[in-house]
Amino acid sequence: MPRLPRDRGELPERLMARASVPPEYRRVAVFGGVYSNVPALAATLDDARARGVEAVFCLGDVGGFGPHPDRAVALLRERGVVTIQGNYDAAVADGAPDCRCGYTDPRDNHFARLSYAYTVAHTSTEHRRWLGALPPRLRLRLGTLTAVLCHGSPRAVSEFLWESTTPDGMLRTMLDEARADVLLCTHSGIKWQRALGDGRHAVNVGVIGRPENDGHRNVWYTVLTAAGGDLGVEFVAVDYDYEALARDMEAERLPAEFVETIRTGWWTTCLEVLPSKERARGRF
Amino acid sequence: MIATIPLRSLSAVWIQVTGTWCNLQCTHCLNASGPRDPWLAPMAVARVECHVVDAARLGAREVYFTGGEPFLHPRILDLLAFALARLPTTVLTNGTRVTERVADRLTDLAARARYSLEVRVSLDAPEREANDRVRGRGAFDRALAAITRLDARGLPPILTATDPRDAVVRDGSLYERLRRLLLAAGVARPRIKLLPIFPVGRSADGMPPPDAVDVDGGNVGRLPCADSRAVTADGVYACPILAGLPEARLDGDTLDHALGPVALRHAACRVCLETGASCRNA
Repeated sequence: MPRLPRDRGELPERLMARASVPPEYRRVAVFGGVYSNVPALAATLDDARARGVEAVFCLGDVGGFGPHPDRAVALLRERGVVTIQGNYDAAVADGAPDCRCGYTDPRDNHFARLSYAYTVAHTSTEHRRWLGALPPRLRLRLGTLTAVLCHGSPRAVSEFLWESTTPDGMLRTMLDEARADVLLCTHSGIKWQRALGDGRHAVNVGVIGRPENDGHRNVWYTVLTAAGGDLGVEFVAVDYDYEALARDMEAERLPAEFVETIRTGWWTTCLEVLPSKERARGRF
Repeated sequence: MIATIPLRSLSAVWIQVTGTWCNLQCTHCLNASGPRDPWLAPMAVARVECHVVDAARLGAREVYFTGGEPFLHPRILDLLAFALARLPTTVLTNGTRVTERVADRLTDLAARARYSLEVRVSLDAPEREANDRVRGRGAFDRALAAITRLDARGLPPILTATDPRDAVVRDGSLYERLRRLLLAAGVARPRIKLLPIFPVGRSADGMPPPDAVDVDGGNVGRLPCADSRAVTADGVYACPILAGLPEARLDGDTLDHALGPVALRHAACRVCLETGASCRNA
């Protein structure tokens, strides 16, 4: 079983990115979009450990939305989670004027600005440096399959891969370009998976920072189990103390709309990027 | 010196299915569509199907049906079904032909498809009088009826509006007025897309094309011609804004043969470059 280096001077991501032969695993946990949700992050890591995974991967967007972004970065580092860079992480590290979330809608951008300003103001210089050093992509072996891990898509960090707007042909093209059998992504906030019928797979691993717009308050991460060329994909629901998070958000004077999402499980903002199928499943 | 933009990857394919045949004659129409003697012909079913198949094979993300008014095409529902079986599909309409029966058919199509069907309904002002001054009498009521009809059936449409005051709305005021209009009409999931006015068709204003100097530092990464193509009965074009303009026609009659770099030689290119606007849904 491969051993992951802990945070002792050199980042595990750097070691992995430098390795000429991608490390091989049989059972891993993968999630995205922490969004500063420390109670959900802690619950996810405990759950993943109990399931006997060999390594845990975070596909980026550590901050945003929730309170105290520094705490999420500290926990990821402390627990040796291999993290790649999301658009939010790159923006916070660079001191960019906005989060580069890819919204075009004025209302979405209004809330994105509030969230981004709070996160930038509450992320330490040291953590910004750490976020800035994260790799944009990683490759690893799952059994005999080669997986590419990215935030949005292998070609653009802010590309939304929704289940209903990601056709098979596009996935095959992306996997061809990435020379990979498995595509792992996040960014959109709603999990899905698809076997392409040729032994290849695409998995949007979901996010643990906020519920996925279905009226339930839990969040989701993914456990991947490889046996030779077969890949098992299990989406795992994580319950956590959402009320504690909501109270923390209120204490930090984060937008009431964000808190409502945590308490109800329905998205109230950043809705305009949703395609019609995903939008119709939500309340707003 | 004219800048050229290479295709990054083919992502969106626009199909000008009814050419410039439309039942409205809007004062700002970017391709001067109208009800009489369309200068660009509607497309044959087989031609459309070939382009959809090619788009899927080339790894495109989505197709858009536009015109003219797509719902004037006698086979539009069959074509949407054909496309939706292969790719996420959007249809842009003025809403006037989205009757109860058509709304039922669209909802049924959307429910059975694995990919999303998006319906974009054009409206230009949140007030009836201002809108109908641009789009013609009765257009406001019929568009709003189409939006509420589709939303009520669980197929939330996207209201698409052009902002006549500025290249891109930055203060959100038109957006807020449109949002209030939709909420007041009982729309449960208001969706709005704003577009700038492009200086082509009936809105041509003599603006010069950009030169290569303008391209440096502009929104090059977001330019539609870097990841889109438009097809008409007449050939393939770099983007839907330029579709049908003889001087903008690309070499090659199929998508496979029209994937080379394109030149930013048109006044409309300046709008994309300066505003970063995208005709796509999001």
